[in-house]
Amino acid sequence: MTPDSSSRAAESSEDEKTAGRHEVFLYVLRRFGVYLFTLWAAITVAFFIFRLVPGDPMNILLGNLARAEGRQRDAAAEEAIIARYRHIFGMDEPLPLQYINYLRKAVLSGLDLGPSFVEYPAQTKDLVFRRMPWTIGIFTTSVLLAWIVGTGLGALIGWLQRSRLSKLAVVISTLLQITPVYLVALGLIIYVGYTWRILPAGGPYARHLQPEWSWEFISSLLTHAILPMLSNIIVIGAGFTLGMRALMISVLGEDYLTFARAKGLSPFTVLKDYAFRNALIPQVTALAIIVGATLNGTFIIEVLFQLPGLGTLFVQAMGLRDFNTMQAVVLFSIFAVLTLTLIVDLALPLLDPRIRRTA
Amino acid sequence: MRNPSIIIGLIMLALIVVVALAGPALVSQWLFPGERPGMRGSYRPYQLDSAEHPIGTDGDGRDGLMVFVSSIWPSLQIGVIAGATSTILGVVIGFLAGYARGRLDTLSRILIDMVLVIPTLPLLLMLAAYIERWDLYKLSLILGIFGWSFVARVIRPQVQSLRERSYVDLAVLSGENPLEIIFLELLPPLLPYIGYVFSLSIVGSMLAEAGLQIIGLGAGGLPTLGFMIAKGFRESVIAIGLIGQMLLPAGALIYVFLALNLINTGLDEVFNPRLKTTIEGGE
Repeated sequence: MTPDSSSRAAESSEDEKTAGRHEVFLYVLRRFGVYLFTLWAAITVAFFIFRLVPGDPMNILLGNLARAEGRQRDAAAEEAIIARYRHIFGMDEPLPLQYINYLRKAVLSGLDLGPSFVEYPAQTKDLVFRRMPWTIGIFTTSVLLAWIVGTGLGALIGWLQRSRLSKLAVVISTLLQITPVYLVALGLIIYVGYTWRILPAGGPYARHLQPEWSWEFISSLLTHAILPMLSNIIVIGAGFTLGMRALMISVLGEDYLTFARAKGLSPFTVLKDYAFRNALIPQVTALAIIVGATLNGTFIIEVLFQLPGLGTLFVQAMGLRDFNTMQAVVLFSIFAVLTLTLIVDLALPLLDPRIRRTA
Repeated sequence: MRNPSIIIGLIMLALIVVVALAGPALVSQWLFPGERPGMRGSYRPYQLDSAEHPIGTDGDGRDGLMVFVSSIWPSLQIGVIAGATSTILGVVIGFLAGYARGRLDTLSRILIDMVLVIPTLPLLLMLAAYIERWDLYKLSLILGIFGWSFVARVIRPQVQSLRERSYVDLAVLSGENPLEIIFLELLPPLLPYIGYVFSLSIVGSMLAEAGLQIIGLGAGGLPTLGFMIAKGFRESVIAIGLIGQMLLPAGALIYVFLALNLINTGLDEVFNPRLKTTIEGGE
């Protein structure tokens, strides 16, 4: 090879690299565009579902209050009060104007989603931010742990598909996977929490403690988090195990795997570099798909374990018919699901060179 | 279809349907002749398990077993109605999206993906806040309406791949109109897959319904398995010692899910023969 041709080769590979980078950039840009559009559309859908469902939230709220106070207001006074509150909450304007105001405030005034009905004048945004760490903490930690455990176990079970132990593992994970997460949570609360009293099963931390940076508080926080997370991990982890097993088995049937074995590579290399790597990509995609359903499950888990997260906030707001707060929680969970999905999608090209090239 | 999973699953389903339909009558005839075991206040509440009341009585003074067997049918009904609603909606939208080309195709894909990621539980709860009086059909329809995106998402690529087959080209050349192509050429081969999706939708709907009940915001008063579990949890029946009143409804839900899951595994093997050969045929 002459120096000239080798430099040309280097140049063309350099070109390919920039072209590749360009394509990655386009992929990221397009994915981000879809993200913004979806976010806007989801907010719009949520906004209109809220307002088009029959029943005026203000009427329901004040009717409930009146009933709770147990006295009969005269109709004219009640009308006046309702009109006054509708004005305060900007609900006396025509719907399109309300919508534009809502979007404008949400985007331009730093996520201003309006005040809470019940805790007026507290901003719903602040209520949501105060509860968010619980939900996001439980959710992300348990999903990541479930993914790691499930992917590892699934790969192992798929690789040893003919052993008896692996067949038993398939049966067990099928059973666990079809069990609803709240039933697992209930089982853990009842048996581990109350009957055997191994771990605490209610509240965010021991009742006599105050949030502070002390070992006692942090360890109490962690032990209280074990069961809620375990409920998620058991069910989602079983799903990931089965998914990874199926992927492994189908990869194991591929020709390139037979070839790799025929080359005399060690079983471990074949498992690690050929089978596992190729099965991994759809497994990451699966992560993006379950995000929404898992958030639903986490909301229920919070309520069952009495954790002060978004799910609990929502249920409380619903009991009080605090529609602004409910709406803020819905919008926030849509935002969280979309953003997490976006992160997974953007991480995919790092794992899979094929997507990088064809995107 | 001589697939063992499908047969076992169907037998399991048939059994629970029989229990659901005949159970209430049988229990009240055999165990409580001349009494009204399902009526509030028929017995002293929270009685422990006995020969007379196999899983005790509940907080409203009804026989636990009677409450349990009469809860199964409404749960199954909700699952089937909601599952059918989301399957029909999803199949229609999935077919339209899969059959369309060009910009319409892109648009429909974005729409489906969008609806798919919206977390449904808060939206469902929100609707639950507005609806004052629930009945079984209202609840099922709403659950169904929230479940279509998943169906459309999986049906669309199937339609797309079928549409490119040469027999469809032949049908186009021989002058069939789009409706004929959809109903005569594309739909029949997809029926087992639609059955599979239907079964998944039933599971999803029953799961969501019981979840709503357990969080305490579902259609309160509808006598479903989820409601029985939720009520048991709130009244801490386990602490009293009435374990059966929690385990039986929970077990029944898991049993139904298991039966449907077996049918699904079977349908999946029928539909996706590669899965079968790699599992059974080995390397």
